[in-house]
Amino acid sequence: MEIFLSIPFLIFMPLAVSLLVISPLFTRNEIVVRRFSKGVFTFHFLYSILMLAFFDKANPYVSEIHFFGLDWVQSLGIKFIFKIDAVSMVLTVLTSFVFLLASIASKFNIRENQKFYYAMLLLLMSAILGIFTAGDMFVFFLFWELELIPAYFLIGGNWNGGKWAGETGCDAKNSAVKFVLFTFLGSMVMLLGILLLYYYNYTLNGILSASFSDIIDSPIPVSIQNLIAVCLLIGFGVKLPIIPLHSWLPDAHTNAPTPVSMVLAGVLLKTGAYGIYRFNYETMPESFQTAAPYLAILALINIIYTAFAAYAQTDIKRIVAYSSISNMGLILLGMCAYNRIGLSASLFHMVAHGLVTCGLFMIAGIVYLRCKNRNINILSGIAAYMPRLFGFAVLIILASIGVPLFAPFISEILTIIGAMNSDLSEVLKFTAIFSLPLLILSSCYMLKFLHKSFFGEPAEAYEKINDITVHEFVVLGAVLAGLIIFGLYPNAILGML
Amino acid sequence: MLNDIFNILLPHMCLGGFIILQLILSIIVHPRLYRYARLVSIFGIVSAIVLLATVQTEPQYFAFKNSLMSDSYTLLFDFMILLCGFFCSLLTRNLVKTIKGNAYTFHAIFLTALFAGMNIVSANDFLTLFVSIELLSFSSYFLIASRKGYYSKEAAFKYLLTSAVSTGLFLFGVSYMYGITGSVNLSDIYEITANQEPSVMYSISSIMIVLGLISKLAVFPFANWIIDVYKGTESSILAFLSTVPKLALFGIVCRLLVFPLNNSLELTFVLALVSLLTAFWANTYAIREKNVKVIFACSASANASYVLLAASLVSVYNLSTVIFYLICYVFMNISVFAFLNIYGDKNSMEVEDFNGLFFKNQGLTGAYAISVLALAGIPITSGFIAKIYLFSAIASSGLIFVPFLLALLLLTVAALYYYLKILLPLFAKDCSGSTSLTAVFSQKFVLVFTALITVLVGIFPEIFIELCRFIAYNI
Repeated sequence: MEIFLSIPFLIFMPLAVSLLVISPLFTRNEIVVRRFSKGVFTFHFLYSILMLAFFDKANPYVSEIHFFGLDWVQSLGIKFIFKIDAVSMVLTVLTSFVFLLASIASKFNIRENQKFYYAMLLLLMSAILGIFTAGDMFVFFLFWELELIPAYFLIGGNWNGGKWAGETGCDAKNSAVKFVLFTFLGSMVMLLGILLLYYYNYTLNGILSASFSDIIDSPIPVSIQNLIAVCLLIGFGVKLPIIPLHSWLPDAHTNAPTPVSMVLAGVLLKTGAYGIYRFNYETMPESFQTAAPYLAILALINIIYTAFAAYAQTDIKRIVAYSSISNMGLILLGMCAYNRIGLSASLFHMVAHGLVTCGLFMIAGIVYLRCKNRNINILSGIAAYMPRLFGFAVLIILASIGVPLFAPFISEILTIIGAMNSDLSEVLKFTAIFSLPLLILSSCYMLKFLHKSFFGEPAEAYEKINDITVHEFVVLGAVLAGLIIFGLYPNAILGML
Repeated sequence: MLNDIFNILLPHMCLGGFIILQLILSIIVHPRLYRYARLVSIFGIVSAIVLLATVQTEPQYFAFKNSLMSDSYTLLFDFMILLCGFFCSLLTRNLVKTIKGNAYTFHAIFLTALFAGMNIVSANDFLTLFVSIELLSFSSYFLIASRKGYYSKEAAFKYLLTSAVSTGLFLFGVSYMYGITGSVNLSDIYEITANQEPSVMYSISSIMIVLGLISKLAVFPFANWIIDVYKGTESSILAFLSTVPKLALFGIVCRLLVFPLNNSLELTFVLALVSLLTAFWANTYAIREKNVKVIFACSASANASYVLLAASLVSVYNLSTVIFYLICYVFMNISVFAFLNIYGDKNSMEVEDFNGLFFKNQGLTGAYAISVLALAGIPITSGFIAKIYLFSAIASSGLIFVPFLLALLLLTVAALYYYLKILLPLFAKDCSGSTSLTAVFSQKFVLVFTALITVLVGIFPEIFIELCRFIAYNI
């Protein structure tokens, strides 16, 4: 059975299909394109599940690609190497799942130019999977850069024929450019860190290699290690985002079409957290332990500041976007604890938040699609017209504020426990104590969202809107099922580590 | 002397023969037969490329009393220059159509420029170098001015004036060098200065020489001319102007830095500073520009600055990265200008004029988009590998250059912004105003072939990097 499980296929299949879809030879019939792409996403999800089923954490999947019998850039020691360990495996399945949901959700949100749209979505998937599975710094960086182009087009593209202001048009273009420039700025600083890491490892260790396994615990002087760590953290901090570098996120998430917002918040942000884990946490533990208290304070600021910012928003997508930043702070805090509980909490929260944010963006998208409006001051009483959506919204919002029975509850509690048990510094305990009451803030803005848009006097303007369709039901149902399954049986993920 | 010719100079001689042939044809052939001028040029260039096989490279060969030399390094640069010449002459179809009667003269000048470029790389003597540079510059004035209209004349005149300044700088440096060493021969200068403590005069002289050479590539204090020159020049000539002088001058500058002028620390710092200022100037200037040609002018200047920083930190490893970067850069640039050539030349080429072209001509616009992405350094193209390789060379030169590298890296973010500005209108849905493209086979061939090489090098870089390392280690 295992001979069918190939990492290159897992990563490059979407890339190949995207080239096929965009080529002029492929059919122009938009319905065929949509169904074909959905089929590909489904197949990919099943394939990743298959890989998960055969996954053995003692023997992670490793695969190396050779070109004409040579390494990719042999003279620089860059190998095209992929490695799927437990963290990568979980995130790979999450990626595959979120993209599947996004492709299902695309039906009503993407009306134009579907060939290009699905090609870009597949390309983005390839890039993100590449980031999660790369075993070499430069390959990681390659996929990190590759993701910019499809992400730009997906955020800034005009997928609805410009029918509604706000979701498409000029604002979307600007926020896409903002996203690309912020990420590129971060990645250039990150490249400096990678190059320094590569060279100091070469001169001190004598191994001309950029693969993670050769760099772990290399005897680089601590001062240089700290410099490298700062460079890398700026790069990942843009993506995560850590607070002063976050301003691209609300714009990008608000202006992107619904399925793209789902992908961005569900998976793309996790690449930043994964990068911190792979580079700082695992490869340069010494400098990470030095940085952890400072990062924990930044994480706390993330949680507090964005919670207040989210409370001030009136656009429901912006509320969800700010809540994402807040949650990413929690993920960062878990990692800063630098112990097993913190790390598994962090990984668990990546999955939980990925699912929750997919659901929330889906709800926001459905409301917007029906009401042509996202302002909570104008929306009112839509629960009366959309009872089924209301049911889902209540459950998913409860999940997002950390009510027991749902997955985020587990990860929030574990994060706090991890930070309390951390033996790095007293600062971690301090942040843990403070972040616990502050998590209540999340219920403030989320319940405000629920209260203002779903309850209240039913507005007459919305009398004719329909309840959710089968596609939307499937997406929300899948999200909810995932949240409940992982909430009841968290060991499914925690046992992987 | 005959030995010298047969050992290393056959390609030069072949090109020279074709220059004379073109001049004779320009007198005797009827202007109606203008289109054969291009064929004669292409034939000449191809035969010169074939004759490169006869050049002796192992061991180094010195001809004409040490004034010309040849090794695998010069062979590679000669080959690249001829290849660029080949692609550019394929693109000259539209230009030649407008100057019918002068087509043969035009192509004679074009071949002269290639000849001069090859001579610059092989020069082992400041006098030979000087004469070759002047030959290249003078040919360039005529090539720039060959297009009809006011702007091309303005561009040519500006280029002439700035070239005069740079020539002055160069000669000033050479005269000092002659004063110190009593020789203009590079090998002699190297022997005399190699074991000496570098004097102030020596540093000033080497700074002047190198600045004089690179100011033709639009580095900071002498950079403004490139805007007007690019604005006024026809795109096939731009394809030539942005590649051949760059190859030739970086070819000789790198060799000068590696062996005769390598022991001046001041030179390194001046060049690093110049490079940084150039990158800053070019990348910030282009942010507000809307004209595609001006943006590419800034991009040419910025790319020169990246190469210059790596070249100034002299080492064999850096040299290999510089060669690799130049090779990749040349292909991207020719591809870009081939697309502008297909698009047709107008004085104003605003970014909005390209709206929606991707949905009209997917293949050609896709190839162009790939080349622009390669210039921006996005993966699966050679630009990504070339940038990483080049920056790795700078990073390996020591912690003191890390701030320089960081500044360059941050400036490439601005570069990405203006490349996106070129790229995004291509995919705009609103395609009113733009016409669909009509291209002949030669133009399509150049565009698609160079874009294909860009992608192939991006996927399989090892072979090319290995070649560059071989050449750098054999210098």
